[in-house]
Amino acid sequence: MMILINAFKSITRSKGRNILIGIIVVTVAASSSIALAIKSAASTAKETGLENQTITGSISVDRQKLMEGAQGDGDSGGQADMGSMRELMQQYPDLSLDELKTYSESDYVKEFYYTASASLNAAGDVEAYSTESSSTSSDDSGSEQNGMPDGMRGGMNGGMDSSGFGGMTMGDFSITGYSSESAMTKFISGESKISSGEMFDVESSDLNCLISNELAVFNGLSVGDTITLANPNAEDETYSFTIVGIYTNTSSADSSNQMRFSTAQDPANLICVSYNALKAVTDNSEAVATTSTDDNGSETTTALSMQTSGTYVFSDKTNYESFSKELTGKGLSEYYTLSSSDINNYDSSLVPLENLSSFATTLLFIILGVGAIILIVLNIFNIRERKYEVGVLTAIGIKKGKVAMQYITELLAVTFISVIIGTGIGAAASVPVSNNLLALQVSSQEAAQNSQQENFGRAGGGGQGGMQTRGSGGMFGNSTNAVEYLDTIDATISIEILGQLVGIGILLTILSSLAGVVFVLRYEPLKILANRT
Amino acid sequence: MSILSLQNVGFSYNKSTKVLQDINYEFEKGRVYAIVGRSGAGKTTLLSLLSGLTSPTEGAIIFDGKDVRKIDRYKYRSHYVGVVFQQFNLLPHLTAVENVELSMRASGKHIPEKRKLAMELLDKVELDDVLAKRRILKLSGGEQQRVAIARALSYNPDIILADEPTGNLDLATQEEIMDIFQHLAKEENKCIIIVSHSPEVANSVDEVYELAPLKEKRRKKPAMEDKVQPEN
Ligand SMILES: Nc1ncnc2c1ncn2[C@@H]1O[C@H](COP(=O)(O)OP(=O)(O)OP(=O)(O)O)[C@@H](O)[C@H]1O
Ligand SMILES: [Mg+2]
Repeated sequence: MMILINAFKSITRSKGRNILIGIIVVTVAASSSIALAIKSAASTAKETGLENQTITGSISVDRQKLMEGAQGDGDSGGQADMGSMRELMQQYPDLSLDELKTYSESDYVKEFYYTASASLNAAGDVEAYSTESSSTSSDDSGSEQNGMPDGMRGGMNGGMDSSGFGGMTMGDFSITGYSSESAMTKFISGESKISSGEMFDVESSDLNCLISNELAVFNGLSVGDTITLANPNAEDETYSFTIVGIYTNTSSADSSNQMRFSTAQDPANLICVSYNALKAVTDNSEAVATTSTDDNGSETTTALSMQTSGTYVFSDKTNYESFSKELTGKGLSEYYTLSSSDINNYDSSLVPLENLSSFATTLLFIILGVGAIILIVLNIFNIRERKYEVGVLTAIGIKKGKVAMQYITELLAVTFISVIIGTGIGAAASVPVSNNLLALQVSSQEAAQNSQQENFGRAGGGGQGGMQTRGSGGMFGNSTNAVEYLDTIDATISIEILGQLVGIGILLTILSSLAGVVFVLRYEPLKILANRT
Repeated sequence: MSILSLQNVGFSYNKSTKVLQDINYEFEKGRVYAIVGRSGAGKTTLLSLLSGLTSPTEGAIIFDGKDVRKIDRYKYRSHYVGVVFQQFNLLPHLTAVENVELSMRASGKHIPEKRKLAMELLDKVELDDVLAKRRILKLSGGEQQRVAIARALSYNPDIILADEPTGNLDLATQEEIMDIFQHLAKEENKCIIIVSHSPEVANSVDEVYELAPLKEKRRKKPAMEDKVQPEN
């Protein structure tokens, strides 16, 4: 009781000293609370960002692993040896649709859909849409594209997901066949909209199609017309599709200034059909194909090939992770990996936030360190100043322990009040401050991304998934899928943070009062009183 | 039986300077004592020993049959002795009455209505309400001295040690203070020990102890010797 009364009087009577301590603690508390809020917001975003959200994933060949595998085999020691790499790639091709379907029977998988893509040439009076002078696209289309140097194609494929054209011949158009309506993610997300006509029957194998508005306008086509397309390997093998609908792309995905090797890569030249329809086309093409053997002895066929990719839908991230484990359990080779663009995109969207969070952590330690040092020094001076008081209190018979307790109580009270005020300031400032800091991080991240893109012509994204596209893959593949960074966080101060701050306050108080306590306990009252002035 | 006695007490602050040697004094309840002696004779030092602020380097101080060295000296100071320091030793950031109350709380004794009692004590030493509620730094030397006296009385100790308690007071006030001391000794059976230069004080007490300074090593002119000690 006496301790409390003395402490209270002492605080109220010597404001100057306490205000100084208060200001320091308020500053420490305010900045610590912001730092803690940022940290906790970052971890919450990481943990809960994808909670209760459906996740799509696909199984693909892990090129990185293949490369490492090839490196391990090679005699050249370290250097990736192209021969063994090619060998491994042949040994581990993309999984077949049947295999993908088998895996999809897992309980963890909510839904499975797939798309197939192929490339066809213009035939008759249809021309591929192009923003460049029309001569390049129509006249020397098809065969010219095949003249693309191998190295260049390889480089391109490396940058993209499993969606490249491998050994495929490139035509003017890309055709994607969808297994179900959920496969048509662009139409679900609203990125593409049917502007006239209607959706084809996704189950049917009739040759019905959707074409883009650009293509329709470019060729003067409308719903009900037919377009005739040819196998780029065999120009007289043609297929006629009935246009049942025309769609527009809401996001024009800056298609104009993209470097393209083929008009097929222009989203405007994407023709959407049902999987069954495309399957019917390739089956037919297979049936009528001719094979030839060239000088090197390798076989080529005129059969139209298609690239299939399957997408698994999971009800949440846990199921995705369980499925991934199950795949390994079922004996899927280590060279295949389940990856999710949702998770990859989300992870890369968190990069600035994580940078900010680690910056906040460093800052927190600096603030606490500097704060502690200042407080310790301040307290040493205070106690020296209060020597006389210690002498008087002990001379009138108050035990040293109690005097020390009184000083700690004073400090605790000042610290506690300052922590509350500081936290209040922190609470008010943390949301705008952290969002501003995050915006800075995002823009510096974007700047880094842009310069990387300028220099290397592709998105870096830290090596992971910057270019991954959803299921339908291939044909959209080239449009740079810029990462959308998470740029707002809810950095509010929770009870937990408040608890941590109070803990910090107590720790600082005890640390900083240590010097004073040692002083109080060491001196005899007579010595203090005798040594004053 | 004496409540406080000094048995062959000697004291030195450090090896080279011995301040007190072979002192044998007896103090009884119900009596007022004066300790006189030249400046620097060691009067304040003696009071420090009696109040338990420090221990004698030779001999022993016996309080109520027990060696002060062996008892809880914090309790001894806060309960049994009240000290009026030569330099008052009041807390400057507190008011007069708060200083008095602080000693009451420090004693841990059950004292109801502390504020009222403190005001009464201050009134006894001629400090009115206004002065009682003023901070120590804004009081004159004499006023501070009276606060120190009130504080020493506040928790009703058995022994009161006063180091020149009337040094800053006019004769009339000095007499009043001496009356208070006499009253405490005679009516409340306290033991009062006063250090003083004043002949009036020495005349009004029951017994006087003269503290002779130890043989001075340095020869000084009388004028120099009268000079007040720099610090206690
Ligand atoms: N803390 C100390 N350390 C060393 N010497 C001291 C200390 N305090 C006092 N002395 C010395 O001890 C001697 C006695 O001092 P003390 O204060 O007891 O004198 P005093 O009789 O009270 O004098 P005065 O009448 O001037 O108050 C003096 O010579 C003084 O210089
Ligand atoms: Mg003295």
